[in-house]
Amino acid sequence: MIMKGQKRKHPPEEVEISDRSSPMWESQRQLVFSVSLNKYHHGQELPEPSLRRSVLIANTLRQVSLEAFAAPSVDIEVSPPPCSSSSALHKSVVTAKQHPAETFSNSHSALDSDFSLSAAISSILTALDSTIDSCSQAAPRTPLRSLENLSAPSDGGVAWVKQGLRGYGGGWEQQEEGREWESSTELMRCSYLSELTVEDLFQDIDTSLLERDMEVLGLIGSGGECPTGDDLLRYLPPFSSSPSHPFSLSLNQNLKCLPSLSSFGPLSSSLPSLSSPHFSSQNHVREGLDLEHLMEILVES
Amino acid sequence: MLSPIQVLCSDITTLSLEPEPFASYTEADIISTVEFNHTGELLATGDKGGRVVIFQREPESKCEPFSQGEYNVYSTFQSHEPEFDYLKSLEIEEKINKIRWLPQQNAAHFLLSTNDKTIKLWKVSERDKRPEGYNLKDEEGRIKDLSTVTSLQVPVLMPMDLMVEVSPRRVFANAHTYHVNSISVNSDYQTYMSADDLRINLWHLDITDRSFNIVDIKPANMEDLTEVITAAEFHPHHCNLFVYSSSKGTLRLCDMREAALCDKHSKLFEEPEDPSARSFFSEIISSVSDVKFSHSGRYLLTRDYLTAKVWDLNMESKPLETYQVHDYLRSKLCSLYENDCIFDKFECAWNGSDSVIMTGAYNNFFRMFDRNTKRDVTLEASRESSKPRAVLKPRRVCAAGGKRRKDDISVDSLDFTKKILHTAWHPTENIIAIAATNNLYIFQDKLNSELH
Repeated sequence: MIMKGQKRKHPPEEVEISDRSSPMWESQRQLVFSVSLNKYHHGQELPEPSLRRSVLIANTLRQVSLEAFAAPSVDIEVSPPPCSSSSALHKSVVTAKQHPAETFSNSHSALDSDFSLSAAISSILTALDSTIDSCSQAAPRTPLRSLENLSAPSDGGVAWVKQGLRGYGGGWEQQEEGREWESSTELMRCSYLSELTVEDLFQDIDTSLLERDMEVLGLIGSGGECPTGDDLLRYLPPFSSSPSHPFSLSLNQNLKCLPSLSSFGPLSSSLPSLSSPHFSSQNHVREGLDLEHLMEILVES
Repeated sequence: MLSPIQVLCSDITTLSLEPEPFASYTEADIISTVEFNHTGELLATGDKGGRVVIFQREPESKCEPFSQGEYNVYSTFQSHEPEFDYLKSLEIEEKINKIRWLPQQNAAHFLLSTNDKTIKLWKVSERDKRPEGYNLKDEEGRIKDLSTVTSLQVPVLMPMDLMVEVSPRRVFANAHTYHVNSISVNSDYQTYMSADDLRINLWHLDITDRSFNIVDIKPANMEDLTEVITAAEFHPHHCNLFVYSSSKGTLRLCDMREAALCDKHSKLFEEPEDPSARSFFSEIISSVSDVKFSHSGRYLLTRDYLTAKVWDLNMESKPLETYQVHDYLRSKLCSLYENDCIFDKFECAWNGSDSVIMTGAYNNFFRMFDRNTKRDVTLEASRESSKPRAVLKPRRVCAAGGKRRKDDISVDSLDFTKKILHTAWHPTENIIAIAATNNLYIFQDKLNSELH
């Protein structure tokens, strides 16, 4: 699309780069990564959040991160980062490489996959760092942009991080999502949110009461993840923790931290489907409504 | 078939005739679904504001040969209202996602309309007579003074101006946690299914307080979710078969006789990925946005972001035919991802004889592909080119920088806000309905209105 009156230029090279060794591929990959991250978080605030859209973006994020590992030219060594916290992050990543820690993921158990995961994590950090650094520039994106007047957020990650925090203060039903993507915002915090503490993020959410109720209703999945308010802090990757326990997050977990689809609420009417997947009757719905009513009262109190 | 298309009628919505440099419509007017009924006599549209407008084709009259059966407004009603889910603090949009007509079994017409959460069955009936001559009340309805009544009369039915009454007969609610994207009436005319992002439910048309879940792809841990259901449809003849498509580009044919829960498919249609064409967006563009059985029941038509594919039910390994709808966008996927256009869900349609397929594109273009002659055409649904009785001129999109003929459009000049997502084809004749944002265009094949 071009605005009227704007002279059409001969469009620059726009072909998708499939050659991974080309530097353009890496820049495109980073662009896609940052756009995807941005998009995912903005998507939660759309008037009509679309599960399909979120799933597709999440899958793209995963793929981009995995391809970063597969690319031979990915530079694991990072340049000295601008802020001290991220240096701790990078140090911990390098340490993780040297001591492949056990991961939370149950599917990646081989040592070499741990190593590769750490490498992928570091590339994510690199990408995030480069996003932080270049958030005000549009230059790396020029070769790929043919739609000149697209209004992509030019202030990079700042907007969505702050918006995400605002959104986090919303209903309790979003707290599960918030808990998980908070870990990704933590990675960006160093540049933007030095004045905010973790407690600030959580202070308007009283999760302990609700978590107990969610347990009672059996709505928490069989994974047994019913964190209390204190436990929520555990999910955030520790900045200053000792090197022996740094990035125990696997790639899977890290990516799990990014897209959380649990906010696509199973809670209001899924009681029938949980108990009887083949048959939902009015009785179940009525019981569900009673419990929902109870939960509303608890939330309001 | 692809002879010149003539504009039958256009601009049914009430807008001024000024050119539209800026959007002069409200968002509620955006048409979100279009569907002909089984005879083609009625055409229903749903919009973002929850309204349904039904058009009826005027019978062709011999005295006016040019009045070739135009569609005029038959009825308008508010199908769905906006709701609020207090538990999740989410608005439930009133936008009509799909309309499906039931086959006509008596004088009344029935249609199903759905928004994200609730499906409703509407009865559309005509009233052209009313009883007159009551004994106890007079013509205005006032109770008569009994002392003035000296004899009894039998009320008689007198003709009146045609009145179309629409009433909700069933409301199928509270069965979907996620957004309903498809409904499909079964060939048994007794059941229908509704599909949301993760589940498909089977309903009986007469029973609203329960439904059977027949497909459930929700993982135990939502964080493991990588695939959603994008469309579903029953087989036109076999009441036990249905197909559903996914965001990963797969189609699954399920047989309800095999099991109560059809999570395990009978057939899986998937085209192996071409490694040379792989990009970051391969998965997104492979997401199937619409699936339609052919009228014969032998083929499936699917639409993903860049192509339309015809599959043979007997061959799961790859599609029978692949049609490039707008391959010039392949190099622009990154930009289209940034502006969200890559998530647009285009629908597709068969003609009545299954020889031509049609789908929409950007810039108010729509494309038709003749499966037999392999010819295709690009046409535009716009006010300027759609005066009544005008003949549509084929359009061409040229690659940026390439040789450009007169009237060609360059890829960079395409307007991505003008997208034709919803199209419908008359079940027996060469009449098509195109929804372009808030306008409905109806085109008819000029040379032969019968199918060959």
